[in-house]
Amino acid sequence: MASGDGKYFATTKKGEIHEFKEDLRALDRSKKKEAVKKVIAAMTVGKDVSMLFPDVVNCMQTDDLELKKLVYLYLINYAKTQPDLAIMAVNTFVKDSQDPNPLIRALAVRTMGCIRVDKITEYLCDPLQRCLKDDDPYVRKTAAVCVAKLYDINPELVEDRGFLDALKDLLADSNPMVVANAVAALAEIHEVGGSAAFHITSTSLFKLLRALNECTEWGQVFILDSLAGYTARDAKDAESIVERVTPRLQHANCAVVLSAVKVILKQMAAIGDEALNKALMKKMAPPLVTLLSGEPEIQYVALRNISLIVQQYPQILSHEVKVFFCKYNDPIYVKMEKLEIMIALASDRNVDQVLLEFKEYATEVDVDFVRKAVRAIGRCAVSLERAAERCINVLLELIQTKVAYVVQEAVVVIKDIFRRYPNRYESVIATLCECLDTLDEPEARAAMVWVIGEYAERIDNADELLEGFLESFPEEPAAVQLQLVTAAVKLFLKKPQPRAQQMIQLVLTYATQETDNPDLRDRAFIYWRLLSTDPEAARAVVLSEKPVIADTATALEPSLLSTLLANLSTLASVYHKPPEAFVSRTRLAVQRADELAPAAFEDDSGTPSSSSAGGGGAGAGAGPAAPAAGAPGPGAPAAGGAPAPPSGADLLGDLLELDSPAPAPAHAHAPAHSANGSMGLDLLGGLGGLDLGGPPAPVPGPPPQAQPAPPAFADPFAAPAPAPFASSAPPAAAPLPVLLPADKGKGLALSGQLARANGGPVFRLAFSNSSAGALDGFMIQFNRNSFGLAPAAQAVPLGPLPPGGSATVDVPLAQNAALLAPGPATALLQVAVRSNQLGVAYFNAAADLGALLLEGGALEPAAFVPAWKALPDGAEAADSLPATLGAWPQASAKLAAANVFTMAHKAVPGSREEVAYLTARAATLPAPTQLLLELRWAAGAPGVRAAVRSERSDFAPMVFAALRGILGG
Amino acid sequence: MGLWVSRLLSIFGEKEARILVLGLDNAGKTTILYRLQVGEVVSTIPTIGFNVETVTYKNIKFQVWDLGGQTSIRPYWRCYYPNTQAIIYVVDSSDTERIGTSAEEFHAILDEEELKDALILVYANKQDLPGALDDAAVAEGLGLSSIKSRDWAIFKTSAIKGDGLFEGLDWLSNMLKTRRR
Repeated sequence: MASGDGKYFATTKKGEIHEFKEDLRALDRSKKKEAVKKVIAAMTVGKDVSMLFPDVVNCMQTDDLELKKLVYLYLINYAKTQPDLAIMAVNTFVKDSQDPNPLIRALAVRTMGCIRVDKITEYLCDPLQRCLKDDDPYVRKTAAVCVAKLYDINPELVEDRGFLDALKDLLADSNPMVVANAVAALAEIHEVGGSAAFHITSTSLFKLLRALNECTEWGQVFILDSLAGYTARDAKDAESIVERVTPRLQHANCAVVLSAVKVILKQMAAIGDEALNKALMKKMAPPLVTLLSGEPEIQYVALRNISLIVQQYPQILSHEVKVFFCKYNDPIYVKMEKLEIMIALASDRNVDQVLLEFKEYATEVDVDFVRKAVRAIGRCAVSLERAAERCINVLLELIQTKVAYVVQEAVVVIKDIFRRYPNRYESVIATLCECLDTLDEPEARAAMVWVIGEYAERIDNADELLEGFLESFPEEPAAVQLQLVTAAVKLFLKKPQPRAQQMIQLVLTYATQETDNPDLRDRAFIYWRLLSTDPEAARAVVLSEKPVIADTATALEPSLLSTLLANLSTLASVYHKPPEAFVSRTRLAVQRADELAPAAFEDDSGTPSSSSAGGGGAGAGAGPAAPAAGAPGPGAPAAGGAPAPPSGADLLGDLLELDSPAPAPAHAHAPAHSANGSMGLDLLGGLGGLDLGGPPAPVPGPPPQAQPAPPAFADPFAAPAPAPFASSAPPAAAPLPVLLPADKGKGLALSGQLARANGGPVFRLAFSNSSAGALDGFMIQFNRNSFGLAPAAQAVPLGPLPPGGSATVDVPLAQNAALLAPGPATALLQVAVRSNQLGVAYFNAAADLGALLLEGGALEPAAFVPAWKALPDGAEAADSLPATLGAWPQASAKLAAANVFTMAHKAVPGSREEVAYLTARAATLPAPTQLLLELRWAAGAPGVRAAVRSERSDFAPMVFAALRGILGG
Repeated sequence: MGLWVSRLLSIFGEKEARILVLGLDNAGKTTILYRLQVGEVVSTIPTIGFNVETVTYKNIKFQVWDLGGQTSIRPYWRCYYPNTQAIIYVVDSSDTERIGTSAEEFHAILDEEELKDALILVYANKQDLPGALDDAAVAEGLGLSSIKSRDWAIFKTSAIKGDGLFEGLDWLSNMLKTRRR
């Protein structure tokens, strides 16, 4: 567009659409083009211009390339909203794919690939087949990518039409760019489909290697990445690959360099020739070093990759440690990574230099960095025996600075050094003892106490020092307390003087009797018993030789390391996590949902509509995406999306656990219940004598000793006095639970829950459209569930939803025994909602039993007691609810409004406890279930103990959930 | 400037007309379109969508829209009705079995409010094939005689041979010229 095209964005008049329509139909060409530009402008600012679809499509047949491109752009955007009308564009695509101009041919096939409409897809095949064999390489390379797109829409079609073979033929293409795109397409298909789509054979290997030198940088990345997946047949094979790949190390593009390194590392294993491998490692060093001359973000990515490489092959960069010295202006995340690599590369040869650097860093201003630098010195000492002394000297110098956090960090690492080289550097202890007063962090104090205990026999005033700590023993953090107990025991064993004895008595008494910390108590008990049974044994145990430690704090597990090395130059190597941990396989998720929903919509089953391009992108596009991944944290969830779904059964199991409230452990409730057991029976026995009123009955003649109502209202815990006769149905104003967030629903957000309206269950569902186009044709379907619930009609009574619009509807539900899920009842509802534009979305909801309680569910009061007694005690389940019941009449009314009817209520004589018996009938299949409930609570105090008896014990958790909903928490 | 010239042309010289070519699938619409435009028989595939070409004949610039005839596409014909001066309805004269279907579609078009002023030109196509109905039989099959209130004409054509096509266009251009006056 020319520079003056900004004006297209300026109009906001009404009736614009009509004007556009007129202009689009104009016979005059320039007017038409102008109109299409205006439409595109409106589209890009988010206005819905989908109603112009037929008119815009009619402008498609033109020899004006600019106009054509604009119309194609429009089509890509709106074809999904007008899937039926989109078919009118097919003929033009077919014609354009035979246009003499290769640019138009490529444009046509590319655009068709972007239109994800099933009806169009089948017509795409013929043009695509033609374009894959086109004379022009540009067309062929575009067609290659289009195959991958088509595979994403309809994998079966790709396989049936033999496009995979055509792609494989393209690997032998004379044009390297075509080869690169064919490789990229095959790799993506391979990744998405998991099929054996792509295996490099010895013949294709040769072709790839030949194309490698000639194609563009990103093409090279694709080829290199696929080569990294190839296992060489023998050393000769591997050598020839490495030979061809090595020149890529000189490339200016870091992605190419890293991918080349990946290939070489992989093939090195197959070569086995030590001399050659050594030469290769030497060759890889300079390119890796060069990566660090980029911007900080690139540096960070390079450093994360290098840190993987040096863990496996430290020799590659062993001479280059200087490169990793931090510059004063490096961002902190680069500095931290550099420190790690410096530690990994530190060796006897360069340790002096490295230590000098660390010492320098320890005087910088950034506290975190300084701490890490001090730690780094310690880690060097632990891993390099010959340098330990020098490290200690540096640490002592740092302690002289008297900067609190430096000193404390130094103390911590010196402890590690003592642990690694016992009895070698005790001379330091004196210096350490001098700075006792500066130590205020738990870790440092704990370390110091350990040192005192460990070397008690060499520190003359060890007892005094420990006493100093013991004064504040009760206030110390747990870590320090634990160390103090151990140190006191060591001191006693090493110097069994009266003073030490006194000290240990004091410590053990406190630790066993007054502390709440079970770890501390247990440790103290162990020492106590050891000492009192056999002091010699105690000595053997406490003062035994300790195993030598090594610096493995940051080392990755070997299997993970090899996975990450195979994924070098991808996000996985930046996060140091395997790809499965953060890349979701959308396709698999959708297929699984299909299996779960056998009753899905006839026309839509098996057509995954969501794009899984993200998966491929993570693998192939990490190079260009690298700058964005500067800080590892924020990028991760966005790029990762949903975590990879576990197998179907596991997921279902997880959902069950989430949905059903964990029943309180039986034993926790049992004692309380059995204590009241006799009283409960008495109450039941006495039920007949009580005045059993109707559901909203007032408190029937409360005994004078329990007058709960007024104090309950005055009680501060009963904060919100329940509104009398509050509606039981979830009030419309309350926010509905979110079922499908907009980012999962491609712009459609859904929230909702079961509710009861007009004497029947409904699914109250709030739709909110944040996609670009209007949505319509909503349909809904449930999977089999424990209540046989299903929408009464598949169509949702909801008109078109404009972009940004939202609406709430009650979908009437019916119950059908044929839709009953087998097995014990769960609250899980699996729901599928479909719209014309977005296809099917699947999500889970919780079935609220409260919505299924029948209006006429009350029993004759006289029938209640026999019914209760008829059910065995084993049919009873109990739970405690967080609700606070106010005055009983109000609570009873609230329950009655929710179709839970009071049978009897009374205060337990001689206590503040009240008990009520209620009943409700749940509309379950095959027959309704009568639920018998007992509620016990202390007047005015929070917490209600509920017990339920029914024929179906599996409903109990849902009953409690419903009660929570009714009574509130 | 371009706008000005084209207006000038439409006043003094070329007239423009928007014409739809309709008919059942496999009637020969696309072949007719290209026969008119380039004067040759091109090999065609079923039109899923539309073709649009400009044919200049006798000082009239016809913008000819050839729409696909598949059942699935027929519902979208109506998107093209506004501002249409004439309909060329093409019938496969050799397809006697579907003449009834063709007549139904034809009358549906006649009933369209947006097309009430459009001229109706019927091509009884594929006259080169043995067993093809002649124009009178096609006219009867379509029920042309029942059309009272509008201008129509029927021509025997063969797109393959090129017979009859331009005679039809002659009629069309004459009618359009008389109307404009």
